[in-house]
Amino acid sequence: MVLLLRTLGRQGVCLSRPQYAVLCRHVVPMGTTAKEEMNTFWAKNSRSNRPLSPHLTAYKWTMPMMMSVAHRGTGIGLSGAVSAVAVAALVLPGNYPYYLDLIHSLSFGPFLIGLAKLGIAFPLSYHAFNGIRHLIWDIGKGFRMAEVYRSGYAVIGLSIITSIALVLR
Amino acid sequence: MAAIVRLSSVCRRGINRNLVRLTVFACAMQITQCANSLLILALTAGSASKAASLHWTAERVLSILLLAMAPVAYYNPGPVMDYSLAAALTLHGHWGIGQVLTDYVHGDTKIKIAKAGLFLLSTVTFSGLCYFNYNDVGICKAIAMLWSK
Repeated sequence: MVLLLRTLGRQGVCLSRPQYAVLCRHVVPMGTTAKEEMNTFWAKNSRSNRPLSPHLTAYKWTMPMMMSVAHRGTGIGLSGAVSAVAVAALVLPGNYPYYLDLIHSLSFGPFLIGLAKLGIAFPLSYHAFNGIRHLIWDIGKGFRMAEVYRSGYAVIGLSIITSIALVLR
Repeated sequence: MAAIVRLSSVCRRGINRNLVRLTVFACAMQITQCANSLLILALTAGSASKAASLHWTAERVLSILLLAMAPVAYYNPGPVMDYSLAAALTLHGHWGIGQVLTDYVHGDTKIKIAKAGLFLLSTVTFSGLCYFNYNDVGICKAIAMLWSK
């Protein structure tokens, strides 16, 4: 009996063959869209008040994971900074050169100024280079684990070099 | 883009820098036109899933556009780059934070409130940047002044 089943299986006898189509005649096509299905799922899921599954605490922190979090973090940070500058432009009296002179007059040492510049340059460089890495993934390249780690280290290296170059120029 | 590669391989460094700048700018203009036609296509497209995939493509096109804007703004600062940068930065940030909200905010009303708040923030950001460009030194000049500290 087992031998018969194994022989049939090896020859690929399955329901997709035309002889067996008669068995599938009563299958009903899906009446809902993906969006409806998703909404039904989320309605039930939110109602159940299920606890969030541990995702940050249960898994080992790997380099690609940390880089992805950093990409999101730098993105939110940079966007926040841009919004802050825009709101400041609308709200604060006086123009930009006035405030720049104000900061100048506080006479921070070159080290602190360099540090502040690095604080702007490094998130920007990192986000830009990792963004390019994301775009390369989007065209389908570089998904093998070795490639992921290699491109990751390249992004970190390039970010450090670029931000130091920007600060020192 | 191929034209730039050919130019740079043939010309000595420094002689045709202006030509390279012009070609970079022309490329940026081409990409902007592509983005615009994609936008028009998105508005006339049919189903929701089509809109979603067009949005995805638009996000990537905008990212490439923003990357291209950096060198162009460095070599050709001015009001055109100021306003283009304001628009591209705000839209890229708006779509980016939109994705973050989609990931972490669940429930119909919460999503609506969050998206409305984001829309308000992006509108204020864009108007603030435009105000800065019009009434103050402008983005390119501001960064140059900040960095020469």
